[in-house]
Amino acid sequence: MLKLKGVSVQYGAYKAVRNVDIEVGKGEIVVLLGSNGAGKSTVFKTIGGLHKCTEGEIMFEGKRIDQSSPAQIVKTGIVQCAEGRKLFPRMTVYENLMMGAFIHRKQKKEIENTLHEVYELFPILKEKRNDLAGSLSGGQQQMLAIGRALMSKPKLMLLDEPSIGLAPIIVAQMFEVIKQINKTETTILLAEQNANAALHIAHKGYVLENGSIVVEGSSEELFADDNVRKAYLGA
Amino acid sequence: MEIFAQQIFNGLTVGSVYSLVALGLTLVYGILHIPNFAHGALYMMGGYITLTMMTKFGLYYWIAIMISMVIVGLMGVLMERLIFYPLRDAPPIQDKIAAIGILLFLEAFAQFVWGADYQTMPTPYGQVVSVMGLTFTMQRLLIIISTVVVMILLFLFLKKTFIGSAIIAMSQNREGAHLVGINTNKMAMLTFMISGALAAIAASLSSPINLVFPGMGHLVILKAFVIIIIGGMGSIPGAIIGGYILGFAESLGATYISNDYKDIFAFILLVLILTFKPTGLFAKGGHS
Repeated sequence: MLKLKGVSVQYGAYKAVRNVDIEVGKGEIVVLLGSNGAGKSTVFKTIGGLHKCTEGEIMFEGKRIDQSSPAQIVKTGIVQCAEGRKLFPRMTVYENLMMGAFIHRKQKKEIENTLHEVYELFPILKEKRNDLAGSLSGGQQQMLAIGRALMSKPKLMLLDEPSIGLAPIIVAQMFEVIKQINKTETTILLAEQNANAALHIAHKGYVLENGSIVVEGSSEELFADDNVRKAYLGA
Repeated sequence: MEIFAQQIFNGLTVGSVYSLVALGLTLVYGILHIPNFAHGALYMMGGYITLTMMTKFGLYYWIAIMISMVIVGLMGVLMERLIFYPLRDAPPIQDKIAAIGILLFLEAFAQFVWGADYQTMPTPYGQVVSVMGLTFTMQRLLIIISTVVVMILLFLFLKKTFIGSAIIAMSQNREGAHLVGINTNKMAMLTFMISGALAAIAASLSSPINLVFPGMGHLVILKAFVIIIIGGMGSIPGAIIGGYILGFAESLGATYISNDYKDIFAFILLVLILTFKPTGLFAKGGHS
């Protein structure tokens, strides 16, 4: 479904991502592991069109998307929950969700149905629909960011560190929700530092270090890999 | 008491014009995050274009205003595309200098085309009316009513339509706007279009009670900056309320303190409000 072939991204003289190959199959949950500064967010931003790759190509459903604008990429069915959530803080929860449906703005009925599904997945968002997004707790903001992304009815969802800064109980809920979203035929590419929880729900994974992929394999293979166990699983 | 009521009415008139100009300025600030000094030039162009449409082409006042709004709106779009868009990754000081450059260019252009003389804009609403002891021209009443109508329309557009909400969303988090598929280029152009149209209507409404001349935007734009600083940079309610606060302060100050110092009240207010509330009255709260 999504294929990155030899993707490199450079900021001035600094190469943030080097020759990265990633493949995400339809219906999969794929995790991208790596420490802070490994290049995970850069990879995500490049897929989303916020950065341009200096080398390589990105294909989605057989079409090249690496020259497309962020708005065009959202229209092809790739949506992203960025690190830091990027909500509209002085808009209400409801208004944020509605903005998530911006590309479907003419299909009022469909928007209603999707909104209903998002409220079912996150009842707290329905309860707080008239509150300002900026007044929500960290966990609620993360739910809103995911809910807003779902409003665009994505085929592929990029989740950048959804568990960062959240209480352990909320993190567990968040991963449960990601599994549920995946069951509704949404493919997921997940960037995480919480390797243990991520690998438990993922089908396969990649480890990114200093901008390059150093290990890749199925979740079982990554669990069994000594380097991964030492570096990310605390073994 | 009658004088007081009369001055409140005058304050409403002046405040309406200030609010319209400040609204355009604050909308662009929300998108660009730079103060658009050239906004005063758009205001001046709005005055001249309406005047020209009326005197040269013999068009009716309202039709002339509509044409002026479209032309100045398009000038705003052109300004965004040709000047500000190419500077989007440049240090902010360059946008500011470019804005001042546009201001000077447009003023010189106006002087070249229309001359440096002060010109009077005719109005079909020059009748003097007396209601409950208040005496005013219909033009002043028209300014107040038109401003309220424009504000309501703008509010409905920004709050009730997807495109309008996208402008607000973009001003709150540009990257977030990209993430939901908003075409930020189109939104920036649309914002400049609206901003230009607001400047044009403000100038066209106020010109019959003031005059049209190349420097007519100077004081108005300076005061509009005071308003958006008082109201909180980028805040829409702040621009509206700030505009009226300034209008009232000026007209009451001119009557009860001194007419000679009328233009200084804006800046005294600025100093006072920033002393007690440095972020402005409607500072943007919340976090993401």
